[in-house]
Amino acid sequence: MKMKRILSTLALTLALSVVLTACATTTTETTKAAATTKAAEVTEAVVETTAAAGETTKAIPTDIYIPVVSKGLQHQFWQTVKKGADDAAAKYGITITFEGPASESEIAAQVTMLDSAIAKKPNAICLAALSTDAVMDQLNACLDAGIPVIGFDSGVPGAPEGSIYANASTDNKAAGALAATSMFPAITEKVAAATVDAPVRIAVISQDATSESVGNRTVGFLEEMVKLVNGAGIADVAIIGHDKYANGVEESAAAVVIDVGISATTAATDIASAVSALLNKEPVAIYASNEGAANGILDASNEGADLGEIVAVGFDAGVRQKTAVVAGYFIGSITQDPYNIGFQAVELAYKAIIGEAVADVDTGAKFYTAANIMDKDIVDLVYD
Amino acid sequence: MSNKDTAIAVNKTPKKLSQQIYVFGALIVIYIFFCIFGRNFFGYETFLNILNASNYIGFAAIGVTFIIITGGIDLSIGTVEMCTAMIGAVCFRKLGLPFWLSIAIVLIAGGLFGLFNGTLVARLKLPPFIATLGTMMIAIGISSIISNVQTLQYPARTEADGWFKDVFSVLQLDNGINIPTGSIMLLTVLLVSHVLLTKTKFGRYVFAIGSNEEAARLSGVNVTFWKTSAYVFSGFCTALAGLSYASTYTTILPGSGSGNELDAIAACYIGGTSTTGGSGTVFGTIIGVFIMSCMRIGLPSMNLQPHYQKLLTGIVVIVAVLMDISQQKKKG
Repeated sequence: MKMKRILSTLALTLALSVVLTACATTTTETTKAAATTKAAEVTEAVVETTAAAGETTKAIPTDIYIPVVSKGLQHQFWQTVKKGADDAAAKYGITITFEGPASESEIAAQVTMLDSAIAKKPNAICLAALSTDAVMDQLNACLDAGIPVIGFDSGVPGAPEGSIYANASTDNKAAGALAATSMFPAITEKVAAATVDAPVRIAVISQDATSESVGNRTVGFLEEMVKLVNGAGIADVAIIGHDKYANGVEESAAAVVIDVGISATTAATDIASAVSALLNKEPVAIYASNEGAANGILDASNEGADLGEIVAVGFDAGVRQKTAVVAGYFIGSITQDPYNIGFQAVELAYKAIIGEAVADVDTGAKFYTAANIMDKDIVDLVYD
Repeated sequence: MSNKDTAIAVNKTPKKLSQQIYVFGALIVIYIFFCIFGRNFFGYETFLNILNASNYIGFAAIGVTFIIITGGIDLSIGTVEMCTAMIGAVCFRKLGLPFWLSIAIVLIAGGLFGLFNGTLVARLKLPPFIATLGTMMIAIGISSIISNVQTLQYPARTEADGWFKDVFSVLQLDNGINIPTGSIMLLTVLLVSHVLLTKTKFGRYVFAIGSNEEAARLSGVNVTFWKTSAYVFSGFCTALAGLSYASTYTTILPGSGSGNELDAIAACYIGGTSTTGGSGTVFGTIIGVFIMSCMRIGLPSMNLQPHYQKLLTGIVVIVAVLMDISQQKKKG
């Protein structure tokens, strides 16, 4: 009887260790690969030092380790960020780990990751915070311990003074404005012909009203679009939908109505129903502020085939959105440069560690269409 | 009265102790494993991280242990936890109520959610699974509606009401030492719950209802009242979990919390609470919580993604319940 109990306890321990070892093996391999690159770099460094014998150099810590804590792993976007980060790590011969919560609403999971990352006593940390307020204590701890933090993607807005050394991020407002200027030529005629009696609608879909990056892309789009519409001679523009963006103009008094739809949750089904609601009001154009929202348009429109005359502009990439752009259902989409975001983040972290001055880097945004999607400067940015 | 108590005292068996010892042993093994193989895992800082990641699950798990012992289940604790936290945030940020009052409202809201569940289950005889499934969705809806689908923040350390974090999460002393006040509070609630469960009428009736509801009723126990009380108690614990979450993670997302209930329920089963009711301990539950947190913090220290934690927790739950069943068979 006792034997049986001991056996079952053993079985539990065994099951645990089997899984753990299986996982650990893969990790060791990557570390080894990194170590090999590092060895090569160190040799180079030694050669250089010998060449510059006599001169004193700043002591560069050996065995540099940087945890990169992202907002998620689920979208292709983050996989491309990871690729950039890995390449930068290989270039400088440093070890990184790339981690993120299973979804972008798991704030607690991300805080736990950051706690673990700090406990590992890293040389620097790269962070794309889901919520700055949730990680205030952690940022202060980094500040006290002298661990440089580099923000990437949407960065860490509102962080304690001095804790963030630099950011590698897209200027989201500018990117949103780029979406408006790219969309406008396709709808100029209809907008110019709009009257209060025969108004024209422009739809905007966002997956949430809380994320700073999505918010700025929406605001950037709205501001630029209002400017462009005013420029076309239409003064009465109403922004309706979510309170956060509404401009207070009555829908009935406007010739151009911009309808901002916010999904109830970030779940694909909820985004799709929010899009359906927008499309039912027959807009001339629709803009999606991230990959999730763009996929929502595709979900609600038979992969874009049912959009018809509606001018659609998306954001980010992914196989589905790219297919829609190539097929002409989307006139085009805005892409950030996820590879560059990952690469710059790790590079900035490395520079901060060795004591170089670092400053914010705008990693840029571009408009891609069926015509230029294969161009050399675009093809690497639009991930699958 | 004395008849009732003797009839019920039969259920007070020490057999759960062995299960607790195994699970505690497993926790120690897992901790030592990570100390050896993890990067800088052994130390106060990491230990504190494990405590912090356990608190909000711990409160909810203690509450739901009572419900599971009565033979019920509560699927709503995850979202009710976040909904009550959101109610507090709305009171404080949007309605401008004083912060202490907002906290009181959170606790009352938790109790009311418990009363709602208890009434549905005990008085209106709804199956607990269905009643609390409904409440789970209602809580998501309420938190989204009252917050207007906006994220809200609890006071940061630097704000006037920063004492909230000192009390419910961690007190940072000037000399750099961190006192895990949240865990001390959890320990207090744990001890109180243990006394409630083992030394009071409430606890005895909870066990009695779980082992044989009909027998309890026939021996004169007011099943409806005591069952409802178990849900109300769990509601309070859930509200405490919400406050604990808010103090550790500050930001409350609208409509969130799905999945938290499963962590709490899994902790109960790992800790040896019977799936059919009638037996269980709050200490076992807390050990279950720590096993999960230990893996959540430990796996990243080995550079593994925390999703492995889910996989491993699943294995632990199944193995723990299997062990429990095999022991029951031997006893029977």
